[in-house]
Amino acid sequence: MDRPIREIYSGWKRIYDSVGREPPGGSLALSDTDEFTLADSYTLADDLTFERSNPDSVWRCFAMARENARQMRNSISADMWTSLNLAYLRIQDLGIQDIWRAPESFYVETLSEINTFTGVAAFTMYRDDGWHFLQLGRSMERSQLLTSLLLAQMVAEATSGERVEDDWATLLRAYHATETYNRKHSVEVIADQVLDLLVSDSMLPRSLRRSIDQMTAELRGLKPGPDPASNAAVRRAEIRLNNLVNPDSPTQGNRGALLRRVNERCRELHQLLAASHFDYHLEKQSAG
Amino acid sequence: MFIWTCISPWTYTSAVHFDSYELDPSIYDEMFLADGTIREHCSRLYDELTRLSAEETRSIQERVARSFRNEGITFTVYGDEEADERIIPIDCVPRLMPKSDWRHLEAGLTQRLKALNLFLEDVYSGSPGEDGHGAPRIIHDGVIPVDVVRGCPQYRLEMQGFSAPYGTWVAICGTDLVRTNEGFQVLEDNLRVPSGVSYMIANRKAVKSNLRRLYRGSRVEEVEHYGRVLLETLKELAPMGCQDPTIVLLTPGVFNSAFYEHMFLASEIGAELVEGRDLLVNDGFVYMRNTTGLQRVDVIYRRVDDDFIDPLVFRPDSLLGVPGLMQAYKQGNVSLVNAPGTGVADDKSVYAYVPDMVRYYLSEEPILNNVDTRLCRRPEDLEYTLDNLQDLVVKRVGGSGGYGMLIGPHSSPEEREDYAKEMRADPADFISQPVLALSRSPCFIDGEFEPRHVDLRPFILHGQSTRIVPGAFCRIALRRGSLVVNSSQGGGGKDFWVMDE
Repeated sequence: MDRPIREIYSGWKRIYDSVGREPPGGSLALSDTDEFTLADSYTLADDLTFERSNPDSVWRCFAMARENARQMRNSISADMWTSLNLAYLRIQDLGIQDIWRAPESFYVETLSEINTFTGVAAFTMYRDDGWHFLQLGRSMERSQLLTSLLLAQMVAEATSGERVEDDWATLLRAYHATETYNRKHSVEVIADQVLDLLVSDSMLPRSLRRSIDQMTAELRGLKPGPDPASNAAVRRAEIRLNNLVNPDSPTQGNRGALLRRVNERCRELHQLLAASHFDYHLEKQSAG
Repeated sequence: MFIWTCISPWTYTSAVHFDSYELDPSIYDEMFLADGTIREHCSRLYDELTRLSAEETRSIQERVARSFRNEGITFTVYGDEEADERIIPIDCVPRLMPKSDWRHLEAGLTQRLKALNLFLEDVYSGSPGEDGHGAPRIIHDGVIPVDVVRGCPQYRLEMQGFSAPYGTWVAICGTDLVRTNEGFQVLEDNLRVPSGVSYMIANRKAVKSNLRRLYRGSRVEEVEHYGRVLLETLKELAPMGCQDPTIVLLTPGVFNSAFYEHMFLASEIGAELVEGRDLLVNDGFVYMRNTTGLQRVDVIYRRVDDDFIDPLVFRPDSLLGVPGLMQAYKQGNVSLVNAPGTGVADDKSVYAYVPDMVRYYLSEEPILNNVDTRLCRRPEDLEYTLDNLQDLVVKRVGGSGGYGMLIGPHSSPEEREDYAKEMRADPADFISQPVLALSRSPCFIDGEFEPRHVDLRPFILHGQSTRIVPGAFCRIALRRGSLVVNSSQGGGGKDFWVMDE
């Protein structure tokens, strides 16, 4: 595929910025020679896909998901375990050299496995607190990933001083929002409109607003923890988070600051939930 | 004495797939009589195996192995560097046993566990005495020497004066049995936290679904209801007056090699799988912490060793246990299955006295024999063992998993010399047994049916009555000629069918 080197460079940079990781070699350097870029892509794809020590690599995410599921096997459905285990076994012994002739098919298949797992979970898992925590975790991680990606894009633009329409189009594609964007706006990709759609549209399945609505719904479905004060703290944090992205809140102001605050509120909510439902103080508990 | 020897094997030639199957008259074969005739209860299996093409059998074998991999039925071996998640090799050819043989085993295992529970109650429930006065009856009457019991590392002084609810110290027992031309013999009783039952069920599931026609056409006793039977047993042991007990399975955690089994069993009995940090003791009662608060626990099926179960009573550095658990147990507010202290009855020295226990407590002759065992603590046994090292198996009293033992015929003169030095230094730490001609069963190996040595671990459950699911974990020594069936040392497993007649 003939793509400008600068575009390839910024694509990789955005990914690394969003996961907060240093690329192999310490930094991404722009080069004018295609050979260098191609060799670099191989290394970077390997780092993000198969590097065992990279906590954000595809391989490591599957391994960690499987290990977590192994520890919780009696709390999830057998089908969920089998689906995840088979996906892990497929990539367990793979390396970048095994997929590099047709990397797209590997990523498409991997995505399909993730979707299968999600579907199997939705169809088979008992709707108890375990389910609510699973959904909460997903919505929270989804919110944090989206805010990180958007922030990385905004920072990249601020640094280079130029807006790259293709980067925003890529974000739309990644969030299955291209068709919706085209219908709502136009085929012309405008950064502010993309931001609005990905952040505020409550009907877009992967929007930030939708993820936070989902979090709220799951929190309401969850049985309260044993300590009323901790439960109240969770409730307050949830309201604070909701207020950040609710339809009455302005989203036109400092978008970067807003996204950073959403990220912080997600972390805060996570900590408060852990305190209210897992690490609660026993002296506050009446045993019985 | 049964000495395993390699008497020039002859070849059974009448069947295509058994062309190179070697029979040795000195070794009991689970499928064939010594003259090569097929045992009656195996004829259908034999017909099926010889009907299948090599390709079909290979495919069945692969599917059975793959089902373990796909379902993640694993055990973990921890080395210096990192954990190694392994899958036990499973052979697709089931081992068959007629119901009449099984009934014999069932009676013998029931008798044995009854005697062992009486022994434990006798050993622990009396008040401690000196010079035999106030000592357990079996010691007082000279059936078993006091030092064999009290000197055993698994004897728990902390349990002295305690009487187990319903006299049930051991509720879950996994007894290792071997078969020779002389009949069944008990190799050891596992009375602490016996494992392997999940393999019994997983093997059945895998083999049943891949040999469907044979299974349907045979009258095989089911084993999949083991979880229900275990649950009934655990409920029977709930504290007095507790009608609907909350049961949990206490695991050392995900790093334990048998974690899969813990998870599996918890799921089978509908119990929560907990670690020590999930439990706490308050006012003598045990509670489980969950996301909505604390919940009272009545029965704990614990898979944590005695040493680690309560840091206030046993090892103070244990992070796996629950402080105060023993106090709650002794007050009768929670049941522990199995009771702490049962290891004294499966010690390799005490093992030698189990037939005497049966005679002493039950006034019956043992239905199942022990393997002839010499205790090197006795000077005459030590001398005999040292004189015949090349023909014997020598084990450490506290050893397990097949580690640290000497198999005389397979050892070098240097190894025997080193071992002899250790024996002379601490004779009480060793026992010796003859090398047994463990029975062999056909296994599908490298495209052929070949005989491999096998043993059997049935699981005996005892709450207020004894129940045995008609099945067992059958272990195989996969290496040709090897007698070591332990999974950590190259052993594998196969399904075991009790055939209803």
